[in-house]
Amino acid sequence: MLTMFAAGLTAVFTIPNILMIILGVFVGIVFGCIPGLTTTMAVALCLPLTFGMNSTVAMSLIMGLYIGGTSGGLISAILINIPGTPASVATCFDGHPMAKRGEAGKALGIGVVYSFIGTALSIIVLVFLAPPVAEFALQFGPVEYFALAVFSLTMIGTLAGKQLAKGISVGLLGMVIAFVGIAPIDAYSRFTFGIADLDGGFDILPALIGLFAVSEILNVAEADTVLKKQNILMEFKIKGFGFSLKEFIGQTWNMIRSALIGIGIGILPGIGAGTSNLVAYGVAKSSSKHPEKFGTGIIDGIVASETSNNATIGGAIIPLLTLGIPGDTVTAIILGGLMVHGLTPGPLLFINNGTVVYGIFVSLIIANIVMLAMEFFGLRVFAKLLRVPKHILLPIVFVLCAVGAFGLNNRVFDVWVALGFGVLGYVLTKLKFPTSPMILGIILGPMAETGFRRGAQLYSGDFSQFLTRPIADIFLVAAVGMIVFIGLGNMRNKKKEEAAKA
Amino acid sequence: MKGFLKVTVALFMVLVATMALSAQSNYPTKAIQVIVPAGPGGDTDLNCRLMAKYLEKELGQPVVIVNVNGAGGTLGTRKVKDAAPDGYTALFFHPSMFLNKILGLVDYNFTAFENAGIGVLDNTNIFVVNASSPYKSITDVIAASKAKPGSIKFATETGGLTHIQALAFESEADVKMNIVDVGSASQKIVALLGKQVDMIGISYGIIKDYVASGRFRVVGVFADERNPAFPTVPTFKEQGVNLSFTKFFFYLFPKGTPQDIIAKFDAALAKVAVNKDLQAELAKFMVSPTYVKPADALKYMTEQEAMYNKYKDLITNAKVTKEEVKQ
Repeated sequence: MLTMFAAGLTAVFTIPNILMIILGVFVGIVFGCIPGLTTTMAVALCLPLTFGMNSTVAMSLIMGLYIGGTSGGLISAILINIPGTPASVATCFDGHPMAKRGEAGKALGIGVVYSFIGTALSIIVLVFLAPPVAEFALQFGPVEYFALAVFSLTMIGTLAGKQLAKGISVGLLGMVIAFVGIAPIDAYSRFTFGIADLDGGFDILPALIGLFAVSEILNVAEADTVLKKQNILMEFKIKGFGFSLKEFIGQTWNMIRSALIGIGIGILPGIGAGTSNLVAYGVAKSSSKHPEKFGTGIIDGIVASETSNNATIGGAIIPLLTLGIPGDTVTAIILGGLMVHGLTPGPLLFINNGTVVYGIFVSLIIANIVMLAMEFFGLRVFAKLLRVPKHILLPIVFVLCAVGAFGLNNRVFDVWVALGFGVLGYVLTKLKFPTSPMILGIILGPMAETGFRRGAQLYSGDFSQFLTRPIADIFLVAAVGMIVFIGLGNMRNKKKEEAAKA
Repeated sequence: MKGFLKVTVALFMVLVATMALSAQSNYPTKAIQVIVPAGPGGDTDLNCRLMAKYLEKELGQPVVIVNVNGAGGTLGTRKVKDAAPDGYTALFFHPSMFLNKILGLVDYNFTAFENAGIGVLDNTNIFVVNASSPYKSITDVIAASKAKPGSIKFATETGGLTHIQALAFESEADVKMNIVDVGSASQKIVALLGKQVDMIGISYGIIKDYVASGRFRVVGVFADERNPAFPTVPTFKEQGVNLSFTKFFFYLFPKGTPQDIIAKFDAALAKVAVNKDLQAELAKFMVSPTYVKPADALKYMTEQEAMYNKYKDLITNAKVTKEEVKQ
């Protein structure tokens, strides 16, 4: 293994490769931090450019894009409360309140460092444990996916906080929205009203752009303080990464847990960083000693979100390289890229193309370091964004959102979807409904449905299979536990409030 | 000022007229969009991108691949159907398009387009089992199914080509399997590796490494003759199941696209198909560039559609069948 690593290192450690990684990370960060443009798009756009390169150079660029893009989303999440990519939705929750308090530098610093740590931990698992971990992932059939989706849906309760009923109804609304379009498995059209554009349903990205970017822009536009200068400038001071060693040590367990959640969700095909950041945030909140502080701008929230979304990278690459099965949307495109270069990911890749595999590992490690350095020195530059008056910055973001929604599938329809969800998100916020449960509903609803129906098909309608498979049982028991825990917590809060009133 | 305006308008009209003319005679004068009604990274996307790389050189203009994924490919086919018939929007797709109509997802077929010929053939449609399974050939699978109907779990994607293959196999071999949906090609591989199912339908190129590493066994290929790339795999016909399926990739333009434009595109396609470099690149995926000219392609596709239509009742009655299996 060491010799293979050395071979990979010599293959990658050339000036053109390093430059390619630096370019990749830079472009990735740009795509990541612009709302509407995602890592998936960055990789999809750059992939054809790599066809003329040799495979090591190509992979250097792609890995740079992947890491830069996944991390870059934190910048806009923290500074303007709009997640740059689906991977950093949860970063907004505490990142932006912290920035508003005048600690934008600290929030960015935490985000950057934990992005680095999340990626690093996942690379370690990828390098040392890839084959056994991938074999374990094979145990996940439809029933296990169903159970995992049910467990993840309980995070709605955590994300909703005190507004449990509102949170659940928004989550259910998300699941209903996901019904629209051609149904999984039997291909019946549901709720399309004969409109051909609705056949494909609502894609998660335009929905996300609408709910988080467009509605935020509408909210800011409404506030009459927009044009006043004091709203433009936020205090910005930073030393080092902006946080103390004591704070770092205090996050150790949160960091490890979030990394494990990220890696785990990354490994499973079909779900990626868009889910892991919310689940990690939910778990961090529900297991915290002070859950009420989440959402007010505490370190824990940023750590959970940013560690887990970047940890998804290493996780998603594990099944890609060992089984030839992509773990998320980015790796699905990378799979095609590898094949164009004559490399078939799967059981023989390590044997036939060991140098390329270890080259990918080395590229990831270098890209991670480049990302840390680039974002650390970039902190001061990003923070200048805050000096751009919002009435200039937000219209630009608005246009980019439309571009991003269109770019997803090259359909104008998706732009309308983004605008529609923007209005929906705005109305929901006005009525004090939390919007993040809707995203979980849209992502996890179809996963639960497909898992359930496929499971029923696979076991010819024998539903005992849903309860007798050990991995599924763990998730289902955890889901029940979570519901009880949230319910009890809610009752305690009610009593406290009543006691306070009395 | 008025004069200036007149001159501008006149110039503009000349410009428009030239553009309209040049679109006919000098085609192509700008980039051609080829819509792939599938996501990036799959076989449709890969084949289309490789073809585009060589088509660009012949046509002298960029060939841009646009992925329009969703609703079984119907979003993409509809986009091309509704596009301007100027020769700058084309569709690249395979027989799933026939199934979209059979399943009732759309009410049009390839005759609602101008045919620009077939570019790629894939003769590697196979049924695969896990190497640890007791089935060595399709004959074993048939015997097991006859002994205990519904005992073989076959994974497919409902409404996909392998679904039709499975239904046709059931009908031809007079057996009943438990046909289950697991999703895309990679999800089929997971299901078979994890032994959640007994058999899957897939293309050889995708699983060749699993065969080489001894985890999968191919029990039959749907072709008239054995494939020279994997000559040890017997055809279904050899094993007494009279079935043959070819996945072919064709180009379509919106209805009303001028014939001389299609002829130009087609001439480029014919040249590309015999390009040695492209043949070598596509051979990695065990598919071959094969040019079939529009008139012949139309005839072939009409025959193929009729063949798929034979199984129409099977696919629409699939649910009833499954309930019968349970009893």
